[in-house]
Order: sequence, then structure tokens, then C-alpha cells
Amino acid sequence: MIPDAMQLDWSLFAVALGGALVTWLTRIGGPWLITRVRLGPAASAALEATPGAVLVALVAPSALSRPSDALAAAFVCLIARRVPMVVAVAGGVAMVVLLRWLL
Amino acid sequence: MTSRASARQDFALGALHSLPVVAGAVPFGFLLGSLAAKAGLSPLDMGLMSALVFAGSAQFVAVDLLGKGTAGLAVVGAILLVNLRHLLMGATLEPRFRGVSKARAGLALFFMTDEQWALALRRGQELTLAYWYGVALTLYLAWLASSVAGTMAGALIADPAAWGLDFTFIAVFLCLLAGFWRGAGSLPPWIASAAAALGVHALSPGGPWHILAGAVAGGAAAAWQSRLGRDGVGEGGAS
Repeated sequence: MIPDAMQLDWSLFAVALGGALVTWLTRIGGPWLITRVRLGPAASAALEATPGAVLVALVAPSALSRPSDALAAAFVCLIARRVPMVVAVAGGVAMVVLLRWLL
Repeated sequence: MTSRASARQDFALGALHSLPVVAGAVPFGFLLGSLAAKAGLSPLDMGLMSALVFAGSAQFVAVDLLGKGTAGLAVVGAILLVNLRHLLMGATLEPRFRGVSKARAGLALFFMTDEQWALALRRGQELTLAYWYGVALTLYLAWLASSVAGTMAGALIADPAAWGLDFTFIAVFLCLLAGFWRGAGSLPPWIASAAAALGVHALSPGGPWHILAGAVAGGAAAAWQSRLGRDGVGEGGAS
């Protein structure tokens, strides 16, 4: 099935608009905040750790759902900082296909 | 006029400096688009999302959640959580925007991505709005075009799971995660997040609550770490 290129889902559009608004607020919020509030080291550390924590929370349940996927995930972690992202993703997908077949 | 000529020159320089970033962003945008097609987004849906949100990691998270049928409000909440780091990044740019009107700064900051921020900081005192937009518009157009093209191409792939492509999201998120690695000090918040997410996910699978639980646990662990003092495990280590 090939969806019509110009098809617009209004509920998705609402999500995009909401996402755009909160994203823009985080972008203009930094300079605004820094002149008004002095963030303590603990609050800064928490804010800085949030994106990584969100990504971990997103992958943990599915990455640890089967041994093959967990091993492939470990493989991606090993190569992620050494090769371009597209290569790491392709390598991870190839690895998971192999491991699911083996295990 | 010399100022106009130098503005044009700065714009061109910004566009030039953004090209290595474009080379990395185009395959990334294409990948996002093909996953979005699988999640049921049309090229127009994807184009509007890229044009309005313009934030790579957050869009991957949003597309993943939309594909799983997550409620819209929870998707917006996840986008907010992933983009919270902008607050800190923007704060470091504040001195650069001091002479700029609120409206102009508000528009320019719409384009602040991780890469934009890095290039702007590297420019230091020489940063001008023209340079900023040279980088910003190049990245914006590349992101828009590649994510829409990916959606058009992705709609042609029949069964992604048969090719292990369901693993793509996990691989992408792990690569993005690697970009946030700041040495061993990064580990405690991540372990706390994984533990909290797995626990909550076991209680309510399918819901988005494990993401919030992970974010809160990770943030709390990081705050606790900093309170313990920076003499802990490799805080602020090499990257």
C-alpha cells in the first residue's frame, strides 16, 4: 500500500504542532532562564542527564526482550562511537538478523 | 554597502561550514522518513513535522511512539523531555544574543539544533545572524528534503520486520545515546533509567509511563551524583 503523498492526518498534525511549540519553548527558554534563574549544579546535572535517560528508557524494554536483540544492542554500543551512524545502524540490523537466526 | 556584502559573505561561510553536518544529517533524515512511512505517516505528515519541530532525536522518538499507537499528548511530552537539553544549550548562547531584539532572537533560536549550537559556539565572537542563518537554512532544507524523500521511498518497503528493520529504532537510539556519553559518570543515570523503565514497563506494558519513569530516575541520579561532589566516577570525563 502506497499512501497518497498529500494525505494529511489531522491528529498527527496536532502532535506536530504541539511538539513544535514545546520544542520552540525549550529553544528560547535557555537565554530567558539564564538571566532570571540561577540553576544549581544539581538541577543542571538533572537537566543534562534527561535526554540520555529518555533514550535508555525507550530502548531498554525492547532491547532486553530477547537475547539476540540484547547482544545486537551491545554490538551497536561498541561500534557507535567509532563508525558513522548509518554504518552502525546497518551493522546492528545485520547483526540482529544473524543472531535471531542463530539463537 | 560593505555591511551587506559582509553579511552575504557570512551567510555563505555558514552554509559552507554546515556541509559536513549535512552529509551526516541527510542519511539520518532519510532513515527517519522510511521509519515514518512504516508508522503510517504520509510524506506531507512527515514534511510538516520536520518543518515545524526540526529536531532529529525527538522526531525519531515521536515516530517510534506514533507507530506504537501512543496517545498524542504523551508523544508531545516525550518530545519535550528529549529536547529539555536545549535549555542548557540556549543558556550558553545568551551572551551572543544580547544585542539582538527579542523577536529576532526568538526566530533565530527556532533553528537551534545540536549541530547549529556547536557551530555557533565554535564561531565565538565572530558569530553574526547572517552566519547563523547560513548554517540554519542549509540544515533546515537538507532535513526537510531528506526526511520527505525517505518517507516516499519507505512506503515502498513491504515488510520491514522480515529484514530486521524493526531493530532500526533500537540501533538509532543507541547511536544517539552514544553521542551523550561523557565518560563513566554518564552510567549511573542511565542504569537508574533502565531499571525504572523496565520496572514500570513490566507493570504497564504499552503505556508511555516507563519513559517518564526513566527520565525522572535518570535526572534524580544525576542530581544526586552532582550533590555527592564531582570527585565521583569520572565526572566531566573525556568525550
